[in-house]
Amino acid sequence: MLKKSMWYSILAIACAGFILLASGFYKAIMVTTMDSPQSSSADPITQTPEDSTHSSKSPNTIQLLILGDSVAKGTGDEKSKGFSSYLPENFKNNTSKEILVQNAGIDGLESIGLLEQLQSQRLEKVIINSDVIFISIGGNDIRRILSLNTLEKDDEFNVRLHSYQSNLKLIFKELRRTNPNSIIVFLGLYNPYERATSLEDARLLNTWNYNTQQLIEEDRNTLFIPTHDLLKYNLARYIAQDGLHPNSAGYQALSNRISKSVESFLTGL
Amino acid sequence: MKLFSLIENEVIKMISKKRLMFVFAILVVLISVFAYGQNHTTERTKAQLTQRMGIAATDDWRKLADQQLIDMKNRLDNPYRDEKDKSSLRVRIEQLQYNLDNNINPLEQSAAKFTTRFMEQSIFLFLPLLVIMLAADMVSGESSSGTIKLLLVRNVPRWKILLSKYLTLMILEVIILFFAFVLSVLISGFFFGFGGWLAPVATGFKVIAGKLDTSTVLNVPQWHYTLMVYSLAYFVAIVIGSISFMISILVKSTAASIGIIMSTLVAGNFISYFLSDWKITRYMFMVNLRLTDYLSGSFQPIEGMTMLFSISVLLGWTIASILVSFLYFTNQDILV
Repeated sequence: MLKKSMWYSILAIACAGFILLASGFYKAIMVTTMDSPQSSSADPITQTPEDSTHSSKSPNTIQLLILGDSVAKGTGDEKSKGFSSYLPENFKNNTSKEILVQNAGIDGLESIGLLEQLQSQRLEKVIINSDVIFISIGGNDIRRILSLNTLEKDDEFNVRLHSYQSNLKLIFKELRRTNPNSIIVFLGLYNPYERATSLEDARLLNTWNYNTQQLIEEDRNTLFIPTHDLLKYNLARYIAQDGLHPNSAGYQALSNRISKSVESFLTGL
Repeated sequence: MKLFSLIENEVIKMISKKRLMFVFAILVVLISVFAYGQNHTTERTKAQLTQRMGIAATDDWRKLADQQLIDMKNRLDNPYRDEKDKSSLRVRIEQLQYNLDNNINPLEQSAAKFTTRFMEQSIFLFLPLLVIMLAADMVSGESSSGTIKLLLVRNVPRWKILLSKYLTLMILEVIILFFAFVLSVLISGFFFGFGGWLAPVATGFKVIAGKLDTSTVLNVPQWHYTLMVYSLAYFVAIVIGSISFMISILVKSTAASIGIIMSTLVAGNFISYFLSDWKITRYMFMVNLRLTDYLSGSFQPIEGMTMLFSISVLLGWTIASILVSFLYFTNQDILV
């Protein structure tokens, strides 16, 4: 009797289950094989960046171009401003000219990505007219080695530093080919994980920053802005909730430092 | 004799052999262990995050999510991004927004997440092994114990007997999945709470020319996703069931048939490491079992494989196995 009732409950479960699973199977196939919606065929990248009204250079403006990764973009700022708002605000104290900003920062960009972005010539017009070019790059290049163990870390670091340096050289070559006169402001790396960092990691970061500075200052019209010192003891104040990017106060502090450094350059423009 | 009563007979035989009880017991033990382990891992991740970021980031997850939401919305407006990235961004914004609206910490586990995850991890080895436990001696067991002659002397055509056995297997496969589902919901619900069934989950990924194409990504409710995962698991169970059914007819010894099918399965789990250049491995059933990975977009065993390809391959194996089973069983001489 018990077996009889078990048989019926098994049969009932099996029938209901079979129908349910068959419908799920059908859905699973539909979801994975559906066609992509006819997305707009035109590449939006080619159209948007140049607002043609500003693209011709006028003597009464200072054009600022921001290139690089999420820090350049302003990620982490709870007011969604970032460098593209704070830098012009500060620059206004030193110049009467109008300041125009173009922000081409992309989250997660590595040096190779920036190089490709420049080589694709999409930004050529913007670069030609820029007076100040601001670059933040490298954080994503180095970040990936953090999770490696100590044995692999050293090797991988050297490989990455090497490819980063050669990318950086090409980036500068590309920028200077298009625009030989602008000042290039380069942001150094800080360490958002100060608390969990070993001595070894700190050494790697310093090596990275040192080599970067050496390399970019081969070009005479550049400025390396260190950030490590400014943030080291201020992480709680200057780092956003995500534990990686600067927050609004952090961007402001960095912008202050940058604008102090380029003061005289701006007045000379 | 009617097919229905034949199936009933087979199912009752299975119940008497206590096989289903074994499956049930194994599931209870394993799911409890996994749920406990997951619970432990979640705690540790939280501790690590807290140590790394200095703040109790896990309690402040709302601020973090708010921040991410703003960032992603900004990214959507960025003209330097292409359309493909945008659809996956929209999907993530939708998920975050849901978490915020319903106050769900994305770090926390839920019964729904665990139940789905458990089947995703079981589909290529654990679930097939459970199915083999039932399928591998359906026919060979009768041969080795000699009861097959009692079945065959009855006035029932052989194909009907075999069909009743096969249908019984299909019924029991549903029961295995039912057990797995109910047990993981109950046990993990005890650890993580029973909620989470309406949370949006991203699916619809495609891999085109080695790159993840996210242009068709969309969110579906968790229960919907879970249903899809279990359906695919059922399909896999039928495939494995059919193949071991065939082997159990061909080999006649239970131990040998279990051995053969298990070693093939285990070999399939690392065959793609050694032979991924060799195109023919794509047509083996073992490398096609991870169907759920096409839903989550996480994995592609060998370049160029898609959901439809895998399903066709598996279907081919199933049909071939069933054909061989019936032809062999109806034509062989049974010596007792």
